[in-house]
Amino acid sequence: MLKYTDTRELISLDILGHRVRGTYHRSFDDRTSSWMSGTCADRPAVLFLNSLALPRAATGDSAVYWADAFARLGYPTFRFDLPGLGDSDGQASTDLLDFINGGGFAPAAAGISKELVERGGYSGVVLVGHCAGAVTASFAAAAFKKCKGMILLDPYFYLPVAKRPESREKLSGWARHSALGRPLSNLFDRVKHLKLFLRGSALPGNANTRLLRKWKELSSTGLPILLFKAPGIKAQGSKPRVGEFDYLEHVRKLAGRKGNLVMKSIEDSDHSFANRAGREAVRRDAEGWMTAHFPLTNPQAHTKAVSFPSAGNKWNGSSRAMVATPNPDCALEGR
Amino acid sequence: MASQSQAEEQSTERAGYFEVPGAHLYAVLHEVEQPTARVLLVGPFASERHNTYIPWVRWARFLAERNIEVLRYDYRGIGESTGALEELTFEDWSQDVQLLSNWLAARSPKAPLILHGLAMGAVLAGRAFHEGIGDGLLMWSPPLSANLALRSTLTRWVGLEQIFKFGGDRRSASDYVRELEQGSTLEVDGYEWSTRLWQESFGFSVPELLADDQISADACERPFKITRLGKEAAPLGRGGSVGYDDLKDFTWLFKPHFEWIAEAATKSNQRKQNAQIH
Repeated sequence: MLKYTDTRELISLDILGHRVRGTYHRSFDDRTSSWMSGTCADRPAVLFLNSLALPRAATGDSAVYWADAFARLGYPTFRFDLPGLGDSDGQASTDLLDFINGGGFAPAAAGISKELVERGGYSGVVLVGHCAGAVTASFAAAAFKKCKGMILLDPYFYLPVAKRPESREKLSGWARHSALGRPLSNLFDRVKHLKLFLRGSALPGNANTRLLRKWKELSSTGLPILLFKAPGIKAQGSKPRVGEFDYLEHVRKLAGRKGNLVMKSIEDSDHSFANRAGREAVRRDAEGWMTAHFPLTNPQAHTKAVSFPSAGNKWNGSSRAMVATPNPDCALEGR
Repeated sequence: MASQSQAEEQSTERAGYFEVPGAHLYAVLHEVEQPTARVLLVGPFASERHNTYIPWVRWARFLAERNIEVLRYDYRGIGESTGALEELTFEDWSQDVQLLSNWLAARSPKAPLILHGLAMGAVLAGRAFHEGIGDGLLMWSPPLSANLALRSTLTRWVGLEQIFKFGGDRRSASDYVRELEQGSTLEVDGYEWSTRLWQESFGFSVPELLADDQISADACERPFKITRLGKEAAPLGRGGSVGYDDLKDFTWLFKPHFEWIAEAATKSNQRKQNAQIH
């Protein structure tokens, strides 16, 4: 069995008593046989984290696709399975969602980041997380000073219910099937909207306040953050469904004047961004954002990264894609 | 913290790549010093890989802890393996099973080789076994053909897709099948299914002899077993949610199947000894 190919290397590290396993996507200009050669010391490494319990390839192998793209651009890119997930050792908590939402994976993610920087000689890391992985990335970034930026895909800032009651599921199912379903669902949304209006700007009871505090700490220092928003159920662009609290607007305000937050809404994709349209839109925008914030001294000549603003809170509107499918793999979709 | 090389030296799980035409196969060997048997795990297809990953890895570890060496891998073009999925055929994936079986069987010291397939993997393992590969075969939820495995994945995907659609926006599995049959590609869970994949899947089936272990157990010299997994075995069986069901305890499922593998290995050794005597 080979430990590496022309473009990838399989690696393992001992982190907090667990052997974690991952894949290194070699930067196009790294001709060495090991990620520890120090040939890419002038730039940050990119580190992908698991989304909930999915293996490090992510839905539809989308993380592999993006990691290949970053490496072709010149950024050494890593995908690791956190302890208890994928190929890594350890037992994942049976209350995995609660564990992640409380920042349970942050020490391991920060530990991996530290090892990469120390052994690979990189200038820092850019953390990439999708859904629950975005929660881990945010907690880990706050715990590791050499985190240079974050790419967050459809993050959530509340404490979702792991499994909705069966009666609620049945009611939702009925609403979707029946002719009366849509108007009744709209009416329900309006009632929720009224309740939300009466609450003013107060956070909902299930807000993840610990995560929001970490977010404020990070984002208000000017840490570059690229946030992708997928279309939600009955939602338009960046705005949430009627009756739901606008967390993205809230976190944008938390970032404040110094904030360096760019938000992109990817139309015609789904929560996983794994369909062709979604992954392509994410790749294009993330490449542009990376090259704007972490310019390479010897960029790949044929790279066609889109230009990107480099600082300040921006809502960059939407990127239009072609095909729409929901994400069946993520337990948080639609919650 | 141990260095990378120290970590690799101490590990009994070795990940690596096998070179195949136009791609690299990702595989993990759960190494055992004096194994009583070796098992090649042939997992489910495409998105089903992701849903079953944690219990599948735990099954490999369960066996390795009981002195059975295991090799698990990703299909060419899927997961950590490289290759363009849309260009691959069932023939390619069959060749991969052969390659890995041969590699595992050639390891020293010699031990009986058992093939174990789940869903689409059971079709691949069953066909390899029928061609004479392996000393035993274990199949979990084998569909009769690859097409039924694809349909099962499609139905699950469509069911989840419909959750997010209202009224006229909802499309049935038949609508998507029609598209595939008319020559369009279809993206299922981020994987591109080609018309060719769909058409070839009809003819790629479990050999008739292996379709029912009750009828043909005596007809086959080498031991084989079929287990139909129910909802309680989700996500290895149908249903379940990623992040919840995959973290539960599967000892009730693993233990009897480990015992069957150990017994199959013993029978295989006896059969080989008898053959030498005669």
